[in-house]
Amino acid sequence: MPLISTRALTKRYSGGVTALDGLTVEIGEGIIGLVGANGAGKSTLIKILLGLLPATEGEATVLDLDTATHGARIRELVGYMPEHDCLPPDVSATEFVSHMARVSGLPSGAARERTADILRHVGLYEERYRPMGGYSTGMKQRVKLAQALVHDPKVLLLDEPTNGLDPAGRDEMLALIERIGRDFGMTAIVASHLLGEIERVADWLVAIDAGRLLRTAPLASFTERTGQLLVETEEAAEPLAQRLVGRGMQAVADGRTVIVDIASAGEGDHGEYAVYGEYAVYDAVRDESVALNMALVRIEHRRHQLEDLFRAGGTDAPVA
Amino acid sequence: MHPSPEAAGAIYDIGYRHYDGLRLGRRGAVTAVVGAGLRAIFGLGRSGRSKVIPWGALILATMPAIVAVAIRVLAGDLIDLYGYDSYLWQIGALLPIFVAAQAPELVVNDIRHRVLPLYFSRPMSRFDYVAAKLGALSLALLSLTLLPVLVLFVGRVLAAEDVVGAIGDEAGALPAIIGSGLLHGVVLAGLGLAICSLAARRAYAAGAVLAVFLIGSVVSEVLAEAGGFADIAPFLSPLAILDGTRQWLFGGSVAESPVGAADVPLALFSLATLVVTFGSWAVLAFRYRRITV
Repeated sequence: MPLISTRALTKRYSGGVTALDGLTVEIGEGIIGLVGANGAGKSTLIKILLGLLPATEGEATVLDLDTATHGARIRELVGYMPEHDCLPPDVSATEFVSHMARVSGLPSGAARERTADILRHVGLYEERYRPMGGYSTGMKQRVKLAQALVHDPKVLLLDEPTNGLDPAGRDEMLALIERIGRDFGMTAIVASHLLGEIERVADWLVAIDAGRLLRTAPLASFTERTGQLLVETEEAAEPLAQRLVGRGMQAVADGRTVIVDIASAGEGDHGEYAVYGEYAVYDAVRDESVALNMALVRIEHRRHQLEDLFRAGGTDAPVA
Repeated sequence: MHPSPEAAGAIYDIGYRHYDGLRLGRRGAVTAVVGAGLRAIFGLGRSGRSKVIPWGALILATMPAIVAVAIRVLAGDLIDLYGYDSYLWQIGALLPIFVAAQAPELVVNDIRHRVLPLYFSRPMSRFDYVAAKLGALSLALLSLTLLPVLVLFVGRVLAAEDVVGAIGDEAGALPAIIGSGLLHGVVLAGLGLAICSLAARRAYAAGAVLAVFLIGSVVSEVLAEAGGFADIAPFLSPLAILDGTRQWLFGGSVAESPVGAADVPLALFSLATLVVTFGSWAVLAFRYRRITV
């Protein structure tokens, strides 16, 4: 049973911009990376899931509740950390987070207790009694996370949680998100345009581009083997590629590397016994590089890279 | 994992605890916003400086009632210093000051610092939010528009030789007291919040509120003095409009009010009050619908 599902979800803004274009996706438990370039539709999706924006077409459910009709109930069970600044400067973190807990529906005693708990969990100590105007970006991000957590939601929607943080701050924020997903038992949907970050914590990725679903799969499968071998040579690899093609393989040279399609290798000619697949390629590469007197640097299975996702269709490819 | 070394060794790090207690939903959210609004208006839990204006206004507004009761105790019925009818007009200057000083606190920062998405991503709607803020300011204003007149009422009853008889004599004034208090509180809260919701900073909001009230009453008085404009003069001042409406509803004229000089049906003032009230609510609805989250 998915926690969140959308069917043909489309959002067109009055200006004519289509932010979501028939997005159909199901999201289960865990730490979910929602990745896409800026403007891919991540924030719009989050706001529709919260019931803050109506969808133009299609439908979405969160925890089996329809976003169009049960927005208030969903918002009781979901925590939201917006991308932008959202903290009043003249109130302390304690005061602010406990007020937000009460606005989430907690009685005042519970709000106070959970505020103290949560601020400790996100790593805010003595400074929690000072006005937030004097906080560093890192502390502000912690308070933003705390207000999203304080009512013990089942699902967390975090929009670019590492925005504006320095490398150390990013590490701490990612570690916190990981802890929330593993130890707090919450499902966290983390929207980010930084693939390199998201792959450090997510166990599942939902990639969207121009409002459409690009791919949804476990993180591991995004980086699985491609069925190709990558051969790196010390000099221009073109002659090697030509000789492999001459043996009936699909091989493409790019500078000092050759990419060989394993499936195209077929049955290798090995004298007394036959070899198949990658072993045929190994043999062929060995023999041909000897014949060319060409030095090899490495041979390895080529893996998908997250960036490949966006290279095909993405006009504004994100930087990892 | 831990950001600081002392956190790693903290003995009270007992892991995450889930919450499965009561959730009060939308009603809890509205109650929380009204409560926080009242605390902010009266500076509770804040510095002494932020208590000066609200509590000062409350004391100043109640003082005449206390003095009137004291004189009544000493001098009997001979001197009737403040009647119920004119009381709100007498303390009228305090109302704009109170609204200008305290209403911006309620709405401006939430817009300016983009806190609203955090409210709207919780069980409350935009309508709930605005209604809660209006409720908080209206309730706070009742401390000026209703509480002092009730003090006067209670004082007059207790000061009488025949208390039981006095209740009978004075009780007839209660509907007018409560009605006028509510009328002033609710209308001024709407007008004040509508003005503040359009301002980018609290100081601008305060200035705008004062401008609307002061310019209104100054122009209104100048026009009334100039002669020939006496009929339209009171319609420029929110407080005069409210006084006209009060007179239409409950009777009892006030000597100093420009309403008396205007030769128009009092019902027109009620119409003006409705325009001001629904106009303010429309401005609020427009303002908060436009805010993107």
